[in-house]
Amino acid sequence: MPENKNKKVSGAEAIMMSLLNEGVDTVFGYPGGAIMPAYDALYDYRDRIRHVLVRHEQGASHAAEGYARVTGKPGVCLVTSGPGATNLVTGIADAIMDSVPIVCITGQVHKKALGTDAFQETDVIGITIPITKWNYQITNAEEIPRIFAKAFQIARSGRPGPVLIDITKNAQIDTFDYAYERIESTRSYTIITRPQDSEVDQAASLLNNAKRPFILVGHGVLISRAEEELRLLAEKGDIPVASTLLGLSAFPADHPLFVGMLGMHGNYAPNVLTNEADVILAVGMRFDDRVTGDLASYAKQAKIIHIEIDPAEINKSVQAEVALLSDAKEGLRALLPKLETKQRNEWKDEFKRLTEQEQEKVIEAEVNPQSGEIKMGEVVRLLSEKTKGEAIIVADVGQHQMMAARYYQYMKPDSYIASGGLGTMGFGLPAALGAKLGAPSREVVAIVGDGGFQMTLQELGTIAQEGLPVKTIILNNNFLGMVRQWQELFFDNRYSFVHLDNPDFVKIAEAFRVQAERVENRNDLSAALDRMLKSQKAYLLDIKVENEQNVFPMVPAGASISDIRLE
Amino acid sequence: MPSEKLHTLSVFSENSPGVLHRLTVIFTRRKLNIESLTVSETERKGVSRFTIVVRSDEDTILKVAKQLERIIEVLQVNVFSNGELLFKEIALYRVAADSPAKRSEIEEVARRYGAQMLNLSPSAVVLEKTGSEDDVNSLYLLLEPFGIREFVRSGRIAIAKNHG
Repeated sequence: MPENKNKKVSGAEAIMMSLLNEGVDTVFGYPGGAIMPAYDALYDYRDRIRHVLVRHEQGASHAAEGYARVTGKPGVCLVTSGPGATNLVTGIADAIMDSVPIVCITGQVHKKALGTDAFQETDVIGITIPITKWNYQITNAEEIPRIFAKAFQIARSGRPGPVLIDITKNAQIDTFDYAYERIESTRSYTIITRPQDSEVDQAASLLNNAKRPFILVGHGVLISRAEEELRLLAEKGDIPVASTLLGLSAFPADHPLFVGMLGMHGNYAPNVLTNEADVILAVGMRFDDRVTGDLASYAKQAKIIHIEIDPAEINKSVQAEVALLSDAKEGLRALLPKLETKQRNEWKDEFKRLTEQEQEKVIEAEVNPQSGEIKMGEVVRLLSEKTKGEAIIVADVGQHQMMAARYYQYMKPDSYIASGGLGTMGFGLPAALGAKLGAPSREVVAIVGDGGFQMTLQELGTIAQEGLPVKTIILNNNFLGMVRQWQELFFDNRYSFVHLDNPDFVKIAEAFRVQAERVENRNDLSAALDRMLKSQKAYLLDIKVENEQNVFPMVPAGASISDIRLE
Repeated sequence: MPSEKLHTLSVFSENSPGVLHRLTVIFTRRKLNIESLTVSETERKGVSRFTIVVRSDEDTILKVAKQLERIIEVLQVNVFSNGELLFKEIALYRVAADSPAKRSEIEEVARRYGAQMLNLSPSAVVLEKTGSEDDVNSLYLLLEPFGIREFVRSGRIAIAKNHG
């Protein structure tokens, strides 16, 4: 039952009631001095709000992101002032880059102590202004219902993003008459979600007259739940579809029109043919530099139609011929009836031809090696086959992240969760536990590197304490592999501080009461993956992979995407 | 390099704490220096108007404007070049005047250049000038030989020549 009847409550209790009013049932947090009144109130709400005690506040922020990415609902963090708040910063910066709705609640010193360098006081509002969609400091209890309603509305609407609410201790303690009303818009915050008819007509005309149209899909398709509209549109126009890193899983990998991933370590055909297409329909993506490579030589021949909800993204990096300022779903829905049915076999054959080249030169050796050490790609492809492409893969950042993006065949939406814009090492494990809480019926597998794993491995403790059956695969090459690859290719093999002398990860997992095993031989790989997937509990595989393996294809930094290297 | 020139941004926002900080970080990220800034409440209750003058190229300033508009509290951002605007600033000059002769010379300059005499003391006079940046600068040069003891100027305030 929503709690909105007038009732005299403390600010701390009002926080809990406001969370319930917004449909929150899971909170990732860590208690401390300035947030203790809120934690005291939470004690009485344990039956309605599941609080997950993380081992470090950064873990709470990434777990909230993982939760939000699979549920579409804002993930919530609850932490104390000072270091508790600053430890959230990496996750907040990650969330704004990748448009992830999270609401961070931070305790703050008493109103009278603000600005006095009080114990654990920090200017978290000042610190997070550049990395939040919105933030606000509550200094009076009466503000709580209105500010919470506004915070959740801002976090989840339009282009979603992180919001931070800082609450002074007195505002948690004082009592007031509680009443809650949800907010849909404010005077200065309105969102345009539907495109203009004239723009839709222009876009349809461009696509209908195109000889070589190409659809690029981003995270916006998943956020707006536009997967079905996208599929119908692509099929009607017989238009090839490629995805950005964060758009993966918006379009099924086995669909005949799916041509792979864009960008630096994306597939060969979609990169090369971006510079051959005559009309590009970009949906819910922002032409990140990892997608475009050198902007001066990016898709210069193409007329670009950009469907995008954030006006600041339109014409930011790439000039659009037609811009549909709208939600991805609304934009695609408007376009669909105006699109003509077409057959484009010649154009599709060009993709096939280049895909075959990549298959021969790169993919075959990566997923079906006959000898040598285990390859990262073969682990990912085998996992993909065993889970029928239906698991949620949560990647950390580095070579393994690209391998997980390239070689898992994503069949269901919201299945590839990774830190895209910020590239945050340490994201994987905590985001996986958040994803598992958000989607308990789905298999969740964290694929991490030996470097990133060691940045947040303490969250194994959270996974164990909460009894979450999160599966973890460490693709262990004893290197910070992506940096090593760059040093090999662009810095004359000078391996500057990229070797890791690792601990025994199996023993570490076991010390956290997480079952684990090490895999060193190809012959043991399949059975080990089976045991991991069969387990009803958390399980970790430390898989020793080829130490100096490189991820190809690759667009060298600053190069044109046409100059993508296959080897 | 695209050519840089002065742009004036009129930013309308909710009048709430922290908005100035939110605006300035957008400029700071791109290492743009704010040449002048004035803030006041407008004819609409609770709405503030920031007049911000920045030297930059046009492409950058249009992107900045969109990023400013993304701030939750911001209602609207308009970008103007000098030709599209009516704009003024105000300046105060404390000028040394230790003899009646000097004082009358300064009074003459003030009269010819439309400056107001605000205050007289045995050693100095205080003048006020409202006008364009160039007007303020010209008067400064004229007064300089007398000895300028103190000088302060406001930021630009501006409205568009054509509305809507």
